[in-house]
Amino acid sequence: MSASIIARAVAVLEGNWNRTHTLPATGLYPHQWSWDSAFIAMGLRHISARRAGQELDALLAGQWDDGRIPQIIFDPHRDADYSPGATFWRSSTIPGSPGEVETAGLIQPPNQAWAVWAVHASDPEESVRRNFLARAYPRLLAWHEYLRTRRDRRGSGLACIVHPWESGTDNSPLWDEALSRVSDQPKHRFERPDLLHTNSSERPSDREYGRYFWLAERYRDHDCDDVDSGYPFLIEDPLFNTLYAVSELALARIAQALGKDPQPHERRSREITDALGQLFSSRLGCLGAWDVVQDTLVDKATINGVLPLLLPTISHASELVATLEGPRFLGGGTLLPPSYDATAADLEPELYWRGPAWFNMAWLSIIALDTHGRAAEAARVSANLVRLAEENDFPEYVNPWTGSPHGTRRFSWTAALTLDTLKHKDRKLLG
Amino acid sequence: MNLVTVQEQHLPGARLEDKFDVALSWGFDGIELRSAGEYQFAARLPELKLARSRGVVMPTACVEMSHFIGAFDAELRRDAVAQLQSQLSVMAEIGGFGVMTPASYGMFSRRLPPFVPPRSDQESHQVLVDALGTLGEHAVREGVELYLEPLNRYEDYLVNRLDEAADLIREVGSDGVRIVADTYHMNIEEADLAAALQHAAPYIGHVQASDSNRLEPGAGHIDWALFGATLQSIGYTRSVAFESRLSGLAEAVLPVSVALLRRYL
Repeated sequence: MSASIIARAVAVLEGNWNRTHTLPATGLYPHQWSWDSAFIAMGLRHISARRAGQELDALLAGQWDDGRIPQIIFDPHRDADYSPGATFWRSSTIPGSPGEVETAGLIQPPNQAWAVWAVHASDPEESVRRNFLARAYPRLLAWHEYLRTRRDRRGSGLACIVHPWESGTDNSPLWDEALSRVSDQPKHRFERPDLLHTNSSERPSDREYGRYFWLAERYRDHDCDDVDSGYPFLIEDPLFNTLYAVSELALARIAQALGKDPQPHERRSREITDALGQLFSSRLGCLGAWDVVQDTLVDKATINGVLPLLLPTISHASELVATLEGPRFLGGGTLLPPSYDATAADLEPELYWRGPAWFNMAWLSIIALDTHGRAAEAARVSANLVRLAEENDFPEYVNPWTGSPHGTRRFSWTAALTLDTLKHKDRKLLG
Repeated sequence: MNLVTVQEQHLPGARLEDKFDVALSWGFDGIELRSAGEYQFAARLPELKLARSRGVVMPTACVEMSHFIGAFDAELRRDAVAQLQSQLSVMAEIGGFGVMTPASYGMFSRRLPPFVPPRSDQESHQVLVDALGTLGEHAVREGVELYLEPLNRYEDYLVNRLDEAADLIREVGSDGVRIVADTYHMNIEEADLAAALQHAAPYIGHVQASDSNRLEPGAGHIDWALFGATLQSIGYTRSVAFESRLSGLAEAVLPVSVALLRRYL
């Protein structure tokens, strides 16, 4: 079985390759996405460390002068196929954007340094030959410096997202209250090309899209400068900051490999890890998000709030393990962890990030469980991840209880992370 | 795990058995034969049968002639077909898989003066369909395969890419004709080596490995990890033959090169 699923996962990734990067899906997602590329590189490295390095090089080439790595680097030939596209963002008119490519102005979770390290470690000889780490390191430093200086909006030590899209978990219930304060009447008349590829019941609604566009317009119209004082959406997401801390640990490894001092990165990772403790909800046994505008905790249990378990030294680890293995996530008869609290009355098991299980979150859960000595549960989730990917042609997400597939198929990170799960069995954080 | 073979001219030794011992000691699994025209290959039959009886692994033969099935001259075309028929029969007698041929080699290039070939594309197409049809039938009768090799644009103007070869094979409709994918030519002609192999997968019967500079694998810049992963992905289980020039002495460079390739197969 594993030989055939490896063959098919490789075929998906080779089919979705587009000269310098991998499309998340050839129809629904026709550009290069930041955190997708990092997840994809985790699998692509088992096919070709060179191609995985090229994937990340292409992503880092879209960096802005301020250090941000954009959410999307647009393929100019496919601009009508995704909304908002390059014509919405018009990034080349914004100071500090890269001259060579059109990008979104937003960002995505910082898993890129983690991916750079993983790609290097998979074939150090090829990495050295390509000068991969030496080229990536200054760009990753600038990226993390952007997060530290421009995105820590309340001085907590944690980075804020300024838009639900920046979380990668676009319509998670974590953003509902903050989003309800945002107008749903953008100036831009938006299209929904995503609905040509999937059922509308599995995607965010037009009303949500109106709010997404209004927020994106406001951010864009302030030149994406992060100093708009009345900006209504500033949230510290536990998963975004967890990946930030993991990536600081990866930067420490990268620095060491380059003969530089790893300690500043280890220190920074500890600071972020400690700061994440502020988001712990003892009522839920996991982390919530912090709404910086309202200065309150968004007290909802999502997969984002248990994945801080990726960090070996996270506080409340035993409560987090109990929550991940308990009825809210893996204890309620689920095959893979749902994106939202399985006991919540408003969970919707087939609607994007409001309940379905996603393969990247399952993959992160496996590592988190292994990191905290829960090998048996990690093995169960691994087996389900591989089986559901194989049975359903690498779906975007699944119903957590039945495993029925939803969203697009032949989805790149599903294939990549299936490959990594199969190839990389002795799993520890940072290999 | 694919068998990895090396062409016989790189191996020292008077007899095929001696060459085979050297091949094994360098890390190969077998030998790719070179099949010369003027029925010289058929004349080697006693030698080949003896080698076969002594366990020499020789799954494939690479044609070595001055004219091919796409020749402008009708007599040369007829001879190329006759030679290949004979060579296919020889491979059948020694339990091999097949013989490879390009459509033409060194005859004409659209990238070099005078740029316009002296025959219409329609005629060229028909010439190839006829020859491949005849050879496909012969190969099926003998239980072997003819491998059509796309060459780069400077060496052949008729078939340069795997998809062109696949189109011809579909048109001919014979299971006796398959593609030999040669990484050196692919590096020049294919936009994406992995995608080309994936698309042509059902038609690939043989693979030749040579780096971007036509030297042994590892001496150029082809991504061998990607190559190996793709062969596994398309379910290619047959042999991979080294067909290349060498960057140094065979005994120095080939053992290193085959070890590199095996990391990924």
